[in-house]
Amino acid sequence: METIASPPPGVTRAPPAAEDLIDRFGADTVQTQHCADGVPTCWVVPERLLAALAYLKPRYPMLLDLFGVDERLREHTPEPASDFSVVYHLVNLKPWREFRLKATTSAASAGLPSATALWPNANWYEREVWDMFGLRFTGHPNLRRILLPPTWQGHALRKEHPARATEMEPFSLDEERQREEQEALLFRPEEWGMDRASADTEFMFLNLGPNHPSVHGVFRIALQLDGEVVIDAVPDIGYHHRGAEKMGERQTWHSYIPYTDRVDYLGGVMNNLAYLMALETLAGVEVPPRAKVIRIMMAELFRISSHLVFYGTFAQDVGQMSPVFYMFADRERLFGIVEAITGGRMHPAWFRLGGVAQDLPEGWQRLVLDFIDSMPERLDHYQKMAMDNSILQQRTRGIGVYSQQEAIDWGITGPSLRATGVDFDLRRDRPYGGYDQFDFNIPIATGGDCYDRAAVRIEEIRESLKIIRQCVDNMPAGPFKSEHRLTTPPPRERMLEDIETLITHFLSVSWGPVVPAGEASFPIEATKGINNYHLISDGGTTSYRTRIRTPSFPALQQIPLISRGLMIPDLIAIIASIDFVMADVDR
Amino acid sequence: MSPLATALFGLAVLAGAVGLAAILTWFERRLLGVWQDRYGPNRLGPLGILQVVADMLKLLTKHDWVPPFADRVVFVFAPTAIVVAMLLGFAVVPFGEHLYLLDLNIGLLFFLGMTSLAVYSVLLGGLASNNKYALLGGLRSAAQMVSYEVFMGLSLMGVVMLTGSFSLRDIVLAQQDLWFCIPQVLGLYVFLVAGIAESHRLPFDLPEAEHELTAGFHTEYGGMKFAMFMLGEYLGLILICCMITTVFFGGWLGPWLPGPVWFALKTSLLICFFVLLRAAIPRPRYDQLMSLGWKYMLPLSLFNLVLTGAIALWLRGA
Amino acid sequence: MSSEAALWPFIVYFLAVLALVATMLGLSWLLGQRRANQATNLPFESGVLSVGTPQIHFAVEFYLIAIFFVIFDLETVFIFAWAVAFFELGWEGFLAVGLFIFILTIALIYEWRSGALDWGQKTRTGWKPER
Repeated sequence: METIASPPPGVTRAPPAAEDLIDRFGADTVQTQHCADGVPTCWVVPERLLAALAYLKPRYPMLLDLFGVDERLREHTPEPASDFSVVYHLVNLKPWREFRLKATTSAASAGLPSATALWPNANWYEREVWDMFGLRFTGHPNLRRILLPPTWQGHALRKEHPARATEMEPFSLDEERQREEQEALLFRPEEWGMDRASADTEFMFLNLGPNHPSVHGVFRIALQLDGEVVIDAVPDIGYHHRGAEKMGERQTWHSYIPYTDRVDYLGGVMNNLAYLMALETLAGVEVPPRAKVIRIMMAELFRISSHLVFYGTFAQDVGQMSPVFYMFADRERLFGIVEAITGGRMHPAWFRLGGVAQDLPEGWQRLVLDFIDSMPERLDHYQKMAMDNSILQQRTRGIGVYSQQEAIDWGITGPSLRATGVDFDLRRDRPYGGYDQFDFNIPIATGGDCYDRAAVRIEEIRESLKIIRQCVDNMPAGPFKSEHRLTTPPPRERMLEDIETLITHFLSVSWGPVVPAGEASFPIEATKGINNYHLISDGGTTSYRTRIRTPSFPALQQIPLISRGLMIPDLIAIIASIDFVMADVDR
Repeated sequence: MSPLATALFGLAVLAGAVGLAAILTWFERRLLGVWQDRYGPNRLGPLGILQVVADMLKLLTKHDWVPPFADRVVFVFAPTAIVVAMLLGFAVVPFGEHLYLLDLNIGLLFFLGMTSLAVYSVLLGGLASNNKYALLGGLRSAAQMVSYEVFMGLSLMGVVMLTGSFSLRDIVLAQQDLWFCIPQVLGLYVFLVAGIAESHRLPFDLPEAEHELTAGFHTEYGGMKFAMFMLGEYLGLILICCMITTVFFGGWLGPWLPGPVWFALKTSLLICFFVLLRAAIPRPRYDQLMSLGWKYMLPLSLFNLVLTGAIALWLRGA
Repeated sequence: MSSEAALWPFIVYFLAVLALVATMLGLSWLLGQRRANQATNLPFESGVLSVGTPQIHFAVEFYLIAIFFVIFDLETVFIFAWAVAFFELGWEGFLAVGLFIFILTIALIYEWRSGALDWGQKTRTGWKPER
């Protein structure tokens, strides 16, 4: 397979992989679609979906994302679309190749065949599609709601479902309703094919979470226990669901930015970056060099911040009390820098379409240099305090192991993938936003256990420090945002002179940019793995469909696989080593 | 001392132990704050010490709740047992040469007995709660304490051999020339580990282990009954430190200063050491803790006995 | 000093301890707030309803540890008796107890080797309760 170049403008030539697919399945079965990001995209008839996926799997072994689209109100519809479509986003890591396969269906039909036999992580994604669109997947082992409560009426991402609380009955939770909701949350082992007892022992069923100190937010794992040994586990998510994707459909392209940094709330501007890279691809906006470097610097600062929180809570969850305080103190100093530059702390919402919101303040170099100069020594100290501790090592080495193959099968990305020895990082293997200009290493480990997942992240802090130093040393001069008409209103002086400019200015400020119809996604290496926003524009001021692929979601799905046969304390170590944020899982 | 004076002294010990345990809740948080780059409670009163009073008032006015699904009698009895057992343990501690409540000739055994009663408290509390987290915590505590009980006693036998008595007063008097922490360094090490396990404090706080079992055995406890478990834990900490001082660090012995002052100094330093352990060390897994006990500590304490016996007899013969 | 004379201060102490505990419980009963809402009388299980009962059969390890404890704690009692009379018994007693400790160690090694001291195998393929 050759690497795929985006087609020359104006030519809707199907990229090579798509041609293979057409050759094999026939042009009446497979149709191609041009996307702004140049990712080969094909539509396949539902009957041949599984065959096409099976054909693609050896070429694209990872199911990066699977999501639905309600096509019914879309004006610039791709030709094959009917009521709903389901998108399978497949990738090959090295060399980086992407492929999108789409299938149509309608809510009334028998639905699509389930892909769970091909990719185990399709399970939760298909449940999400069922939950949000009411589309069925035949052959799915347990198709039930996943993000919304089991008592929810309707399917939230359908276009007819209200997007605002004001469009619905006022919410109230009286005692009766509360009782019903609690009843609906009761874990029933039989629904998951679990026995209450074996031949020689009775099992205990324990709800670990949603309100538990070690689940990092609101997250439940229903455990089947023999003594303290985990026989089976059922992760239950959705307690932190806030409808981020639905909100994307009502917010303007610009006003959605602050919602993004609340998705992975430890990643701050990293979320802005993922969203804006996709949006800029869709709108064809080029970012000036200074803005690129500023973005990289801020993104790496937030990578450090996120990893510091991980480091501290990791040590804390294996029972070490003190490190977390040191790491939060460091993070506090880091937030001081972020605050000086952006005015915000955890959620700066500071990146903009085409650049960033302001130029860097005077004296920013000193702030940043002070921080990055002091960190390596402190990291050495933490290494001795936490990672070199023999009890911590006993607790985490050889615990929660998965292989490279399993990581890829389950869609694990980022440091958790690199801990299994896969030498892959989007920043180097598919450079974006200017990362190709930087010199840094990709830390990897080979054990694939809890300890290695932590060790990789800690090394990444050091590499990020290196990147930030290069940003400080080589910050380009020039504008901090693009002059593209979609990103910047006309200059004020000219606006005051003629009416046409005034109108343009008014529209650009009140509506915001009108992004040309099309589709684009842009995977980036976020703090916890691959973050990917798939944006569909219908040629309006808001997104038609915003899909957020987060790295935490598939990681939680994998918990039962790696925790079976271990004890509760091991499960806690596994949870600590995954580095997830519930807002990132539930969106 | 006359019996009346002894009785009054007993009341003073009681007030002192409970008061010290209360102050320790504040002191520990302040000390952890120093080590963890933060303040700890510093608002109420000088250095925040009135936090103790505020906590007490808060706990007193909490709902005195006994779960309807629990075994009610046992549920109430469990937290009282640990407080009573630990306080009785103080009766045999010699704070000075003539400053003690009870000089039992089996003082050491009495102490071991009282600390092992604490396991009932935690176990019964866990089982009576009829809550899954509490049950797991209770089971852990039973297995942990039962395992560490075995060599906790054995680790002290080296000292008993050299002294020829179970009386704590005799043990201190036998350390006039050399504190037992030198010849019995192995015994001290084993006793220290067992002591942390018996007082179930952080490195070995598996029955509670809030990261794993939310609050472990006392998940269903609140208000004063919860406070009594905490009180029992802090009393246990003080008692263990008193005992280490007595048995290994020469008790009240020391130059220049009066005996009780030496005793208090040594005990306080040990308490700080225990707090430091809590700040520094992660929690081993349940089976690792058991393995440590049975596979390393028990053989080590047996080895200590044989070694002590051989050297002592050889030295005497020579 | 007669033994009763030595004991009664201790009895006073014991009664004072009981009084203290009773006061603590009584005061909190008197002063404590009373409240009851829907979830007050439910067992805590991370904020959701509990499934099944906590009163189940436990893993066999717990019984094993209990049995080991009984065995070893009994043995240590003999060592206690020897320790206190150590110098009087001299080399003779030392050799006798040495032999005793030797046998005890053999028993421990046997338990160790038979795997009775290892809890729950750490494997991904599944935990095997039988050994």
